[in-house]
Amino acid sequence: MTTVIGIDKPIREQFADTMLRVGKRDEELVVMVGDISHGVLSPFREEFPERYFNVGILESAMISMAAGLSSLGFRPVVHTIAPFLLERAFEQIKLDFCYQGLPGNLVTVGSAFDYSNLGSTHHCYGDFAMLKTLQNTDILFAGSASEFDVLFDQAYSNHRLSVYRLPSRSHGVEIDPRDIRIGEPIKIREGSDITLIATGPQLASVVGAVDQLVAEGWDPEVLYVHSIRPMATKLIRESIGKTGKFVTVEEHMEAGGFGDDILRVTRDMPNITSASIAIPGTFVLDYGTYDEHLETLGMTPDGVVRKVAETFGQR
Amino acid sequence: MQSTDWNNKLRRRIVDLVYTGQDGHIPSAFSIVDIISTLYRNVLRVDPANPEWPERDYFILSKGHGCVALYTVLAERGFLTEDDLSTFCRKGGILGEHPDRNKVPGVEASTGSLGHGFPFSVGIGIGLKLKNRSNKIYTLLGDGECHEGSVWESAHLAANHELSNLTVVVDWNQSGQQLLPLDNLPEKWRSFGFETMVIDGHSESELKSTLEAARLNETNRPTAVIARTTKGKGVPLIEGHGPWHHKIPSEDEYKQIMKVLS
Repeated sequence: MTTVIGIDKPIREQFADTMLRVGKRDEELVVMVGDISHGVLSPFREEFPERYFNVGILESAMISMAAGLSSLGFRPVVHTIAPFLLERAFEQIKLDFCYQGLPGNLVTVGSAFDYSNLGSTHHCYGDFAMLKTLQNTDILFAGSASEFDVLFDQAYSNHRLSVYRLPSRSHGVEIDPRDIRIGEPIKIREGSDITLIATGPQLASVVGAVDQLVAEGWDPEVLYVHSIRPMATKLIRESIGKTGKFVTVEEHMEAGGFGDDILRVTRDMPNITSASIAIPGTFVLDYGTYDEHLETLGMTPDGVVRKVAETFGQR
Repeated sequence: MQSTDWNNKLRRRIVDLVYTGQDGHIPSAFSIVDIISTLYRNVLRVDPANPEWPERDYFILSKGHGCVALYTVLAERGFLTEDDLSTFCRKGGILGEHPDRNKVPGVEASTGSLGHGFPFSVGIGIGLKLKNRSNKIYTLLGDGECHEGSVWESAHLAANHELSNLTVVVDWNQSGQQLLPLDNLPEKWRSFGFETMVIDGHSESELKSTLEAARLNETNRPTAVIARTTKGKGVPLIEGHGPWHHKIPSEDEYKQIMKVLS
Protein backbone atom coordinates (compact mmCIF):
# COMPACT_ATOMS: atom_id res chain seq x y z
CA MET A 1 0.00 0.00 0.00
CA THR A 2 1.41 3.37 -1.00
CA THR A 3 0.51 6.46 0.96
CA VAL A 4 0.75 9.78 -0.84
CA ILE A 5 -0.54 12.35 1.63
CA GLY A 6 -1.51 15.73 0.25
CA ILE A 7 -1.30 15.38 -3.54
CA ASP A 8 -4.96 14.74 -4.26
CA LYS A 9 -7.13 17.28 -6.04
CA PRO A 10 -9.55 19.13 -3.70
CA ILE A 11 -12.69 17.02 -3.61
CA ARG A 12 -15.03 19.96 -4.28
CA GLU A 13 -13.01 20.72 -7.41
CA GLN A 14 -13.40 17.10 -8.46
CA PHE A 15 -17.15 17.39 -7.87
CA ALA A 16 -17.28 20.27 -10.36
CA ASP A 17 -15.14 18.39 -12.88
CA THR A 18 -17.33 15.33 -12.55
CA MET A 19 -20.48 17.39 -13.12
CA LEU A 20 -19.01 18.74 -16.34
CA ARG A 21 -17.87 15.33 -17.52
CA VAL A 22 -21.15 13.57 -16.76
CA GLY A 23 -23.21 16.54 -17.89
CA LYS A 24 -21.69 16.30 -21.35
CA ARG A 25 -22.90 12.77 -21.84
CA ASP A 26 -26.18 12.98 -19.93
CA GLU A 27 -28.49 15.84 -20.81
CA GLU A 28 -30.84 14.92 -17.97
CA LEU A 29 -28.24 15.94 -15.37
CA VAL A 30 -29.31 19.17 -13.67
CA VAL A 31 -27.14 20.94 -11.09
CA MET A 32 -28.86 23.02 -8.41
CA VAL A 33 -26.87 24.95 -5.82
CA GLY A 34 -27.85 26.92 -2.76
CA ASP A 35 -25.69 29.94 -3.51
CA ILE A 36 -22.32 28.22 -3.08
CA SER A 37 -19.51 26.82 -5.26
CA HIS A 38 -20.10 29.26 -8.15
CA GLY A 39 -16.40 29.46 -8.90
CA VAL A 40 -15.64 25.77 -9.24
CA LEU A 41 -18.91 25.08 -11.04
CA SER A 42 -18.49 27.90 -13.57
CA PRO A 43 -17.33 25.52 -16.36
CA PHE A 44 -20.58 23.54 -16.00
CA ARG A 45 -22.62 26.75 -15.81
CA GLU A 46 -20.98 28.15 -18.94
CA GLU A 47 -21.39 24.90 -20.87
CA PHE A 48 -24.95 24.17 -19.75
CA PRO A 49 -26.54 27.40 -18.50
CA GLU A 50 -30.05 25.97 -18.91
CA ARG A 51 -29.19 23.05 -16.62
CA TYR A 52 -27.50 25.05 -13.89
CA PHE A 53 -29.64 26.69 -11.21
CA ASN A 54 -28.40 28.85 -8.41
CA VAL A 55 -31.72 28.28 -6.75
CA GLY A 56 -31.31 30.66 -3.85
CA ILE A 57 -31.28 30.38 -0.10
CA LEU A 58 -34.36 28.23 0.30
CA GLU A 59 -33.27 24.67 0.89
CA SER A 60 -36.67 23.18 1.71
CA ALA A 61 -38.26 24.29 -1.54
CA MET A 62 -35.07 23.41 -3.43
CA ILE A 63 -35.33 19.77 -2.36
CA SER A 64 -39.02 19.49 -3.26
CA MET A 65 -38.36 21.27 -6.55
CA ALA A 66 -35.57 18.79 -7.30
CA ALA A 67 -37.95 15.93 -6.59
CA GLY A 68 -40.41 17.46 -9.05
CA LEU A 69 -37.68 17.56 -11.68
CA SER A 70 -36.81 13.96 -10.87
CA SER A 71 -40.43 12.95 -11.46
CA LEU A 72 -40.00 14.14 -15.06
CA GLY A 73 -36.90 11.99 -15.54
CA PHE A 74 -34.20 14.56 -14.82
CA ARG A 75 -31.25 13.58 -12.62
CA PRO A 76 -30.99 16.43 -10.13
CA VAL A 77 -27.77 17.11 -8.23
CA VAL A 78 -28.50 19.40 -5.29
CA HIS A 79 -25.50 20.98 -3.62
CA THR A 80 -25.05 23.18 -0.59
CA ILE A 81 -23.74 23.18 2.97
CA ALA A 82 -24.60 19.99 4.84
CA PRO A 83 -26.75 21.20 7.77
CA PHE A 84 -28.93 23.36 5.55
CA LEU A 85 -29.41 20.70 2.92
CA LEU A 86 -29.90 17.70 5.19
CA GLU A 87 -31.10 18.92 8.56
CA ARG A 88 -33.29 21.84 7.50
CA ALA A 89 -34.83 20.01 4.58
CA PHE A 90 -34.97 16.54 6.12
CA GLU A 91 -38.74 16.15 5.82
CA GLN A 92 -38.60 17.17 2.18
CA ILE A 93 -35.87 14.58 1.57
CA LYS A 94 -37.87 11.94 3.41
CA LEU A 95 -41.22 12.54 1.74
CA ASP A 96 -40.48 14.05 -1.65
CA PHE A 97 -37.58 11.80 -2.63
CA CYS A 98 -37.56 8.72 -0.44
CA TYR A 99 -41.25 8.06 0.19
CA GLN A 100 -42.16 8.79 -3.40
CA GLY A 101 -39.34 6.55 -4.62
CA LEU A 102 -37.74 9.26 -6.72
CA PRO A 103 -34.02 9.16 -7.51
CA GLY A 104 -31.66 12.07 -7.04
CA ASN A 105 -28.29 13.20 -5.75
CA LEU A 106 -27.51 15.41 -2.77
CA VAL A 107 -23.91 16.61 -2.52
CA THR A 108 -22.95 18.29 0.73
CA VAL A 109 -19.94 20.27 1.81
CA GLY A 110 -19.16 21.19 5.39
CA SER A 111 -18.57 17.62 6.47
CA ALA A 112 -18.82 17.21 10.26
CA PHE A 113 -16.83 20.19 11.66
CA ASP A 114 -14.94 21.13 8.49
CA TYR A 115 -16.23 24.69 8.94
CA SER A 116 -14.58 24.64 12.33
CA ASN A 117 -14.56 28.38 13.02
CA LEU A 118 -18.16 28.90 11.89
CA GLY A 119 -19.52 27.06 14.89
CA SER A 120 -22.41 24.70 15.40
CA THR A 121 -24.74 26.38 12.90
CA HIS A 122 -22.43 25.17 10.13
CA HIS A 123 -21.48 21.77 11.54
CA CYS A 124 -23.19 18.54 10.59
CA TYR A 125 -22.07 15.35 12.30
CA GLY A 126 -25.36 13.52 12.78
CA ASP A 127 -26.04 13.04 9.08
CA PHE A 128 -25.31 9.31 8.88
CA ALA A 129 -27.72 8.71 11.75
CA MET A 130 -30.49 10.77 10.14
CA LEU A 131 -30.03 9.39 6.67
CA LYS A 132 -29.91 5.78 7.83
CA THR A 133 -33.56 6.10 8.85
CA LEU A 134 -34.51 6.68 5.22
CA GLN A 135 -35.34 3.99 2.73
CA ASN A 136 -34.15 4.00 -0.86
CA THR A 137 -31.11 6.05 0.16
CA ASP A 138 -27.37 5.52 -0.26
CA ILE A 139 -24.88 7.38 1.96
CA LEU A 140 -21.50 7.85 0.33
CA PHE A 141 -18.47 9.44 1.96
CA ALA A 142 -15.77 9.91 -0.64
CA GLY A 143 -12.45 10.43 1.09
CA SER A 144 -10.59 11.44 -2.04
CA ALA A 145 -11.24 13.12 -5.36
CA SER A 146 -10.91 9.95 -7.39
CA GLU A 147 -13.31 8.13 -5.07
CA PHE A 148 -15.97 10.76 -5.62
CA ASP A 149 -15.56 10.53 -9.37
CA VAL A 150 -15.87 6.75 -9.36
CA LEU A 151 -18.70 6.56 -6.83
CA PHE A 152 -20.72 9.25 -8.62
CA ASP A 153 -20.43 7.35 -11.88
CA GLN A 154 -21.66 4.20 -10.20
CA ALA A 155 -24.53 5.75 -8.27
CA TYR A 156 -25.86 8.91 -9.87
CA SER A 157 -28.25 7.30 -12.31
CA ASN A 158 -29.51 4.43 -10.19
CA HIS A 159 -33.06 4.52 -8.92
CA ARG A 160 -32.20 5.67 -5.44
CA LEU A 161 -31.37 8.84 -3.58
CA SER A 162 -27.60 9.16 -3.24
CA VAL A 163 -26.24 11.48 -0.57
CA TYR A 164 -22.57 12.39 -0.89
CA ARG A 165 -20.53 13.90 1.92
CA LEU A 166 -17.59 15.89 0.52
CA PRO A 167 -14.88 16.45 3.12
CA SER A 168 -12.54 19.40 2.88
CA ARG A 169 -9.50 17.15 3.07
CA SER A 170 -8.60 13.91 1.36
CA HIS A 171 -7.34 10.97 3.37
CA GLY A 172 -4.32 11.01 1.07
CA VAL A 173 -4.14 7.25 0.68
CA GLU A 174 -3.80 6.04 -2.85
CA ILE A 175 -6.48 3.51 -3.76
CA ASP A 176 -6.74 1.86 -7.15
CA PRO A 177 -9.97 3.21 -8.68
CA ARG A 178 -10.74 -0.31 -9.88
CA ASP A 179 -11.09 -1.32 -6.22
CA ILE A 180 -13.78 1.28 -5.56
CA ARG A 181 -17.22 -0.29 -5.80
CA ILE A 182 -20.27 1.16 -4.16
CA GLY A 183 -21.10 -0.71 -0.98
CA GLU A 184 -17.79 -2.57 -0.80
CA PRO A 185 -15.31 -1.88 2.03
CA ILE A 186 -11.67 -2.00 0.97
CA LYS A 187 -8.82 -3.80 2.68
CA ILE A 188 -5.93 -1.35 2.91
CA ARG A 189 -3.54 -3.49 4.96
CA GLU A 190 -3.55 -7.18 5.78
CA GLY A 191 -3.06 -7.88 9.48
CA SER A 192 -3.82 -10.51 12.08
CA ASP A 193 -4.62 -9.29 15.58
CA ILE A 194 -6.67 -6.07 15.46
CA THR A 195 -8.97 -4.51 12.85
CA LEU A 196 -8.92 -0.75 12.36
CA ILE A 197 -11.85 0.56 10.30
CA ALA A 198 -12.06 4.15 9.11
CA THR A 199 -14.32 6.22 6.91
CA GLY A 200 -13.58 9.49 5.10
CA PRO A 201 -10.43 11.46 5.93
CA GLN A 202 -9.90 9.39 9.07
CA LEU A 203 -8.29 6.72 6.96
CA ALA A 204 -5.22 8.97 7.29
CA SER A 205 -5.25 8.60 11.08
CA VAL A 206 -5.53 4.85 10.92
CA VAL A 207 -2.87 4.41 8.25
CA GLY A 208 -0.67 6.88 10.11
CA ALA A 209 -0.96 4.78 13.29
CA VAL A 210 0.16 1.54 11.70
CA ASP A 211 3.92 1.96 12.08
CA GLN A 212 3.68 2.82 15.78
CA LEU A 213 1.31 -0.07 16.44
CA VAL A 214 3.62 -2.45 14.62
CA ALA A 215 6.50 -1.13 16.71
CA GLU A 216 4.44 -1.97 19.79
CA GLY A 217 3.93 -5.51 18.59
CA TRP A 218 0.54 -5.26 16.90
CA ASP A 219 -0.24 -6.47 13.40
CA PRO A 220 -3.22 -4.28 12.47
CA GLU A 221 -5.58 -5.01 9.61
CA VAL A 222 -6.90 -1.78 8.08
CA LEU A 223 -10.29 -1.55 6.38
CA TYR A 224 -11.72 1.50 4.67
CA VAL A 225 -15.42 2.25 4.24
CA HIS A 226 -16.58 4.83 1.67
CA SER A 227 -20.18 3.58 1.52
CA ILE A 228 -21.96 3.96 4.81
CA ARG A 229 -25.02 2.55 3.09
CA PRO A 230 -25.09 0.15 1.40
CA MET A 231 -22.25 -1.61 3.22
CA ALA A 232 -21.32 -5.20 2.42
CA THR A 233 -20.44 -7.11 5.57
CA LYS A 234 -18.42 -10.09 4.35
CA LEU A 235 -14.97 -8.48 4.48
CA ILE A 236 -15.73 -6.83 7.83
CA ARG A 237 -16.94 -10.05 9.45
CA GLU A 238 -14.03 -12.03 8.09
CA SER A 239 -11.53 -9.52 9.42
CA ILE A 240 -13.08 -9.16 12.86
CA GLY A 241 -13.63 -12.90 13.07
CA LYS A 242 -9.89 -13.27 12.54
CA THR A 243 -8.67 -10.53 14.91
CA GLY A 244 -11.39 -10.52 17.59
CA LYS A 245 -10.87 -6.79 18.11
CA PHE A 246 -11.78 -3.64 16.25
CA VAL A 247 -11.64 0.13 16.46
CA THR A 248 -13.81 2.39 14.28
CA VAL A 249 -12.78 5.96 13.51
CA GLU A 250 -15.22 8.47 12.04
CA GLU A 251 -15.96 12.20 11.93
CA HIS A 252 -19.52 11.63 13.09
CA MET A 253 -21.35 11.37 16.38
CA GLU A 254 -20.85 8.04 18.07
CA ALA A 255 -24.61 7.52 18.31
CA GLY A 256 -25.83 6.45 14.92
CA GLY A 257 -22.44 6.54 13.29
CA PHE A 258 -20.92 3.85 11.13
CA GLY A 259 -19.33 2.33 14.24
CA ASP A 260 -22.85 1.40 15.34
CA ASP A 261 -23.29 -0.40 12.04
CA ILE A 262 -20.13 -2.41 12.64
CA LEU A 263 -21.38 -3.37 16.10
CA ARG A 264 -24.62 -4.59 14.54
CA VAL A 265 -22.68 -6.51 11.90
CA THR A 266 -20.76 -8.34 14.63
CA ARG A 267 -23.40 -8.83 17.31
CA ASP A 268 -23.77 -12.54 16.67
CA MET A 269 -19.99 -13.06 16.81
CA PRO A 270 -18.60 -14.26 20.15
CA ASN A 271 -15.72 -12.74 22.11
CA ILE A 272 -15.36 -9.51 20.20
CA THR A 273 -14.08 -6.38 21.94
CA SER A 274 -14.20 -2.97 20.33
CA ALA A 275 -13.73 0.75 20.71
CA SER A 276 -14.90 3.82 18.84
CA ILE A 277 -13.25 7.12 18.06
CA ALA A 278 -16.09 9.47 17.23
CA ILE A 279 -17.72 12.69 18.36
CA PRO A 280 -19.33 12.26 21.78
CA GLY A 281 -22.94 13.25 22.34
CA THR A 282 -22.26 16.94 22.70
CA PHE A 283 -21.96 19.90 20.37
CA VAL A 284 -18.45 20.68 19.16
CA LEU A 285 -18.42 24.06 20.87
CA ASP A 286 -14.87 25.26 20.46
CA TYR A 287 -13.40 27.29 17.61
CA GLY A 288 -10.00 26.79 16.03
CA THR A 289 -8.74 24.83 13.07
CA TYR A 290 -9.97 21.52 11.73
CA ASP A 291 -6.69 19.95 12.88
CA GLU A 292 -7.13 21.30 16.39
CA HIS A 293 -10.59 19.70 16.53
CA LEU A 294 -9.10 16.41 15.34
CA GLU A 295 -6.48 16.61 18.08
CA THR A 296 -9.10 17.25 20.76
CA LEU A 297 -11.26 14.34 19.57
CA GLY A 298 -8.37 11.89 19.27
CA MET A 299 -8.78 11.64 15.52
CA THR A 300 -5.05 11.48 14.80
CA PRO A 301 -2.49 8.68 14.44
CA ASP A 302 -1.48 9.21 18.06
CA GLY A 303 -5.14 9.18 19.07
CA VAL A 304 -5.64 5.82 17.40
CA VAL A 305 -2.55 4.40 19.12
CA ARG A 306 -3.79 5.71 22.49
CA LYS A 307 -7.27 4.25 21.96
CA VAL A 308 -5.81 0.84 21.16
CA ALA A 309 -3.67 0.92 24.30
CA GLU A 310 -6.54 2.15 26.51
CA THR A 311 -8.92 -0.49 25.22
CA PHE A 312 -6.74 -3.52 24.69
CA GLY A 313 -3.65 -2.82 26.83
CA GLN A 314 -0.10 -3.27 25.72
CA ARG A 315 0.74 -5.96 23.23
CA MET B 1 -71.59 34.47 -4.46
CA GLN B 2 -73.43 32.09 -6.72
CA SER B 3 -75.07 29.37 -4.69
CA THR B 4 -74.90 26.00 -6.33
CA ASP B 5 -75.73 22.38 -5.94
CA TRP B 6 -74.21 21.38 -9.26
CA ASN B 7 -71.76 18.99 -7.68
CA ASN B 8 -74.12 17.45 -5.13
CA LYS B 9 -73.63 14.02 -6.65
CA LEU B 10 -69.90 14.28 -5.96
CA ARG B 11 -70.60 15.52 -2.45
CA ARG B 12 -72.82 12.53 -1.78
CA ARG B 13 -70.03 10.23 -2.92
CA ILE B 14 -67.60 12.05 -0.64
CA VAL B 15 -69.91 11.50 2.33
CA ASP B 16 -70.35 7.85 1.39
CA LEU B 17 -66.60 7.38 1.23
CA VAL B 18 -66.01 8.94 4.62
CA TYR B 19 -69.00 7.20 6.22
CA THR B 20 -68.06 3.74 4.98
CA GLY B 21 -64.31 4.25 5.38
CA GLN B 22 -64.88 5.81 8.82
CA ASP B 23 -62.21 8.40 8.13
CA GLY B 24 -61.64 11.53 6.08
CA HIS B 25 -62.18 15.27 5.98
CA ILE B 26 -65.66 16.05 4.60
CA PRO B 27 -65.64 19.87 5.03
CA SER B 28 -62.22 20.24 3.40
CA ALA B 29 -63.36 18.10 0.48
CA PHE B 30 -66.60 20.08 0.06
CA SER B 31 -64.53 23.25 0.01
CA ILE B 32 -62.52 22.14 -3.02
CA VAL B 33 -64.64 19.63 -4.91
CA ASP B 34 -66.06 22.25 -7.27
CA ILE B 35 -62.55 23.43 -8.16
CA ILE B 36 -61.25 19.92 -8.83
CA SER B 37 -64.36 18.91 -10.69
CA THR B 38 -64.10 21.93 -13.00
CA LEU B 39 -60.45 21.25 -13.66
CA TYR B 40 -61.03 17.63 -14.64
CA ARG B 41 -64.25 18.26 -16.58
CA ASN B 42 -63.27 21.40 -18.44
CA VAL B 43 -59.63 22.32 -18.23
CA LEU B 44 -57.03 19.59 -17.79
CA ARG B 45 -55.82 17.55 -20.73
CA VAL B 46 -55.61 14.08 -19.28
CA ASP B 47 -56.19 10.53 -20.45
CA PRO B 48 -57.67 8.17 -17.86
CA ALA B 49 -56.66 5.21 -20.01
CA ASN B 50 -53.06 6.41 -19.90
CA PRO B 51 -52.48 8.37 -16.68
CA GLU B 52 -48.81 8.88 -17.59
CA TRP B 53 -49.55 10.26 -21.05
CA PRO B 54 -46.55 12.53 -21.74
CA GLU B 55 -48.71 15.35 -23.11
CA ARG B 56 -50.95 15.49 -20.04
CA ASP B 57 -51.51 18.44 -17.79
CA TYR B 58 -50.56 18.02 -14.16
CA PHE B 59 -52.80 18.50 -11.16
CA ILE B 60 -51.27 18.38 -7.70
CA LEU B 61 -53.36 18.52 -4.56
CA SER B 62 -50.90 20.21 -2.24
CA LYS B 63 -53.50 20.19 0.57
CA GLY B 64 -53.59 16.41 0.48
CA HIS B 65 -56.12 16.01 3.27
CA GLY B 66 -58.88 17.04 0.88
CA CYS B 67 -58.21 13.94 -1.21
CA VAL B 68 -61.66 12.37 -0.96
CA ALA B 69 -62.76 15.15 -3.31
CA LEU B 70 -59.97 14.20 -5.71
CA TYR B 71 -60.81 10.50 -5.48
CA THR B 72 -64.45 11.06 -6.36
CA VAL B 73 -63.50 13.19 -9.36
CA LEU B 74 -60.84 10.69 -10.49
CA ALA B 75 -63.50 7.99 -10.29
CA GLU B 76 -65.94 10.09 -12.29
CA ARG B 77 -63.28 10.62 -14.98
CA GLY B 78 -62.42 6.91 -15.09
CA PHE B 79 -59.03 6.90 -13.36
CA LEU B 80 -60.48 4.91 -10.47
CA THR B 81 -63.10 2.18 -10.27
CA GLU B 82 -65.95 1.64 -7.85
CA ASP B 83 -63.91 -1.20 -6.39
CA ASP B 84 -61.07 1.23 -5.75
CA LEU B 85 -63.41 3.60 -3.93
CA SER B 86 -64.79 0.77 -1.84
CA THR B 87 -61.32 0.22 -0.40
CA PHE B 88 -60.95 3.76 0.97
CA CYS B 89 -59.00 3.54 4.22
CA ARG B 90 -59.14 -0.26 4.11
CA LYS B 91 -56.11 -2.46 4.64
CA GLY B 92 -54.79 -3.47 1.26
CA GLY B 93 -56.56 -0.64 -0.58
CA ILE B 94 -54.91 2.07 -2.63
CA LEU B 95 -56.84 5.03 -1.24
CA GLY B 96 -55.76 6.48 2.07
CA GLU B 97 -56.46 9.76 3.75
CA HIS B 98 -53.70 11.38 1.75
CA PRO B 99 -53.03 10.72 -1.95
CA ASP B 100 -50.11 8.54 -2.96
CA ARG B 101 -48.57 8.81 -6.43
CA ASN B 102 -47.25 5.26 -6.28
CA LYS B 103 -50.68 3.80 -5.60
CA VAL B 104 -53.34 5.97 -7.19
CA PRO B 105 -53.60 6.37 -10.99
CA GLY B 106 -53.68 10.06 -11.87
CA VAL B 107 -52.06 11.29 -8.67
CA GLU B 108 -48.86 13.14 -9.54
CA ALA B 109 -47.42 13.73 -6.06
CA SER B 110 -47.79 12.13 -2.66
CA THR B 111 -48.96 14.91 -0.40
CA GLY B 112 -50.34 15.33 3.08
CA SER B 113 -47.57 17.18 4.85
CA LEU B 114 -48.44 20.74 3.93
CA GLY B 115 -46.04 22.85 1.92
CA HIS B 116 -44.63 20.04 -0.24
CA GLY B 117 -46.88 19.82 -3.27
CA PHE B 118 -46.35 23.39 -4.42
CA PRO B 119 -42.52 23.30 -4.57
CA PHE B 120 -42.78 19.86 -6.20
CA SER B 121 -45.00 21.53 -8.82
CA VAL B 122 -42.42 24.25 -9.33
CA GLY B 123 -39.88 21.53 -10.16
CA ILE B 124 -42.29 20.09 -12.70
CA GLY B 125 -42.88 23.54 -14.16
CA ILE B 126 -39.15 24.18 -14.56
CA GLY B 127 -38.64 20.71 -15.99
CA LEU B 128 -41.38 21.15 -18.57
CA LYS B 129 -39.83 24.44 -19.66
CA LEU B 130 -36.43 22.74 -19.96
CA LYS B 131 -38.01 20.12 -22.21
CA ASN B 132 -39.86 22.79 -24.22
CA ARG B 133 -43.16 21.12 -23.50
CA SER B 134 -46.48 22.91 -23.35
CA ASN B 135 -48.12 20.88 -20.58
CA LYS B 136 -49.70 22.95 -17.79
CA ILE B 137 -49.54 22.49 -14.04
CA TYR B 138 -52.36 23.30 -11.62
CA THR B 139 -51.66 23.15 -7.90
CA LEU B 140 -54.33 23.46 -5.24
CA LEU B 141 -53.22 24.89 -1.88
CA GLY B 142 -55.10 25.52 1.33
CA ASP B 143 -55.10 28.99 2.81
CA GLY B 144 -53.85 27.51 6.10
CA GLU B 145 -51.12 25.82 4.08
CA CYS B 146 -50.05 29.31 3.05
CA HIS B 147 -48.64 29.69 6.55
CA GLU B 148 -45.83 27.34 5.53
CA GLY B 149 -42.57 29.04 4.65
CA SER B 150 -41.95 26.64 1.77
CA VAL B 151 -45.06 28.05 0.04
CA TRP B 152 -43.46 31.46 -0.19
CA GLU B 153 -40.06 30.03 -1.08
CA SER B 154 -41.83 28.34 -3.95
CA ALA B 155 -43.77 31.43 -4.94
CA HIS B 156 -40.47 33.27 -5.10
CA LEU B 157 -39.04 30.57 -7.34
CA ALA B 158 -42.07 30.30 -9.62
CA ALA B 159 -42.16 34.03 -10.32
CA ASN B 160 -38.41 34.37 -10.80
CA HIS B 161 -38.35 31.41 -13.18
CA GLU B 162 -41.31 32.93 -15.07
CA LEU B 163 -43.41 29.80 -14.79
CA SER B 164 -46.32 30.92 -16.91
CA ASN B 165 -47.20 27.22 -17.21
CA LEU B 166 -48.11 27.09 -13.52
CA THR B 167 -51.42 28.03 -11.91
CA VAL B 168 -51.85 28.03 -8.17
CA VAL B 169 -55.40 27.79 -6.86
CA VAL B 170 -55.79 28.76 -3.23
CA ASP B 171 -58.77 27.34 -1.37
CA TRP B 172 -59.52 30.55 0.54
CA ASN B 173 -62.03 29.20 3.03
CA GLN B 174 -60.61 31.29 5.88
CA SER B 175 -59.09 28.35 7.74
CA GLY B 176 -55.80 30.18 7.92
CA GLN B 177 -57.49 33.32 9.17
CA GLN B 178 -58.74 31.42 12.23
CA LEU B 179 -55.14 31.32 13.40
CA LEU B 180 -53.48 34.36 11.85
CA PRO B 181 -56.09 37.00 11.10
CA LEU B 182 -53.86 39.21 8.96
CA ASP B 183 -54.60 37.23 5.84
CA ASN B 184 -54.61 39.38 2.74
CA LEU B 185 -53.78 36.55 0.41
CA PRO B 186 -54.48 38.29 -2.92
CA GLU B 187 -52.06 41.07 -2.05
CA LYS B 188 -49.41 38.60 -1.00
CA TRP B 189 -49.60 36.62 -4.23
CA ARG B 190 -49.58 39.83 -6.31
CA SER B 191 -46.53 41.06 -4.47
CA PHE B 192 -44.73 37.82 -5.26
CA GLY B 193 -45.24 38.44 -8.97
CA PHE B 194 -48.27 36.30 -9.76
CA GLU B 195 -51.11 37.21 -12.08
CA THR B 196 -53.69 37.19 -9.32
CA MET B 197 -57.47 37.07 -9.39
CA VAL B 198 -60.15 36.44 -6.79
CA ILE B 199 -63.16 34.36 -7.76
CA ASP B 200 -66.05 32.41 -6.28
CA GLY B 201 -64.63 28.94 -5.76
CA HIS B 202 -68.06 27.33 -5.90
CA SER B 203 -69.25 28.97 -9.13
CA GLU B 204 -68.98 26.67 -12.10
CA SER B 205 -68.95 29.54 -14.57
CA GLU B 206 -66.31 31.59 -12.75
CA LEU B 207 -64.10 28.58 -12.16
CA LYS B 208 -64.39 27.45 -15.75
CA SER B 209 -63.62 30.79 -17.33
CA THR B 210 -60.79 31.63 -14.94
CA LEU B 211 -59.04 28.27 -15.02
CA GLU B 212 -59.34 28.02 -18.81
CA ALA B 213 -57.95 31.53 -19.16
CA ALA B 214 -55.02 30.57 -16.93
CA ARG B 215 -54.32 27.72 -19.30
CA LEU B 216 -53.85 30.25 -22.08
CA ASN B 217 -51.66 32.55 -19.98
CA GLU B 218 -49.51 34.57 -22.37
CA THR B 219 -47.66 36.60 -19.77
CA ASN B 220 -44.34 35.53 -18.33
CA ARG B 221 -45.87 35.26 -14.88
CA PRO B 222 -47.46 32.35 -13.03
CA THR B 223 -51.12 32.64 -12.08
CA ALA B 224 -52.69 32.63 -8.64
CA VAL B 225 -56.44 32.06 -8.46
CA ILE B 226 -57.68 32.93 -5.01
CA ALA B 227 -60.92 30.99 -4.74
CA ARG B 228 -63.33 32.20 -2.09
CA THR B 229 -64.80 29.03 -0.67
CA THR B 230 -66.79 27.76 2.28
CA LYS B 231 -65.53 24.88 4.32
CA GLY B 232 -68.26 22.24 4.21
CA LYS B 233 -70.02 24.07 1.36
CA GLY B 234 -73.46 22.70 0.57
CA VAL B 235 -74.54 21.32 3.93
CA PRO B 236 -75.24 23.93 6.64
CA LEU B 237 -74.84 21.33 9.37
CA ILE B 238 -71.15 20.97 8.66
CA GLU B 239 -70.23 24.36 7.19
CA GLY B 240 -67.61 26.47 8.92
CA HIS B 241 -64.68 25.78 11.18
CA GLY B 242 -66.26 23.79 13.96
CA PRO B 243 -65.91 20.17 15.02
CA TRP B 244 -66.65 18.72 11.59
CA HIS B 245 -63.10 19.15 10.24
CA HIS B 246 -62.25 15.47 10.82
CA LYS B 247 -65.59 14.19 12.15
CA ILE B 248 -67.29 11.04 10.92
CA PRO B 249 -71.07 11.39 10.72
CA SER B 250 -73.28 9.19 12.86
CA GLU B 251 -76.07 7.27 11.14
CA ASP B 252 -78.56 10.06 11.89
CA GLU B 253 -76.13 12.74 10.73
CA TYR B 254 -75.38 10.77 7.58
CA LYS B 255 -79.09 10.68 6.76
CA GLN B 256 -79.45 14.41 7.44
CA ILE B 257 -76.50 15.27 5.21
CA MET B 258 -77.70 13.04 2.39
CA LYS B 259 -81.16 14.57 2.60
CA VAL B 260 -79.71 18.04 2.10
CA LEU B 261 -77.66 16.83 -0.84
CA SER B 262 -80.42 14.85 -2.52
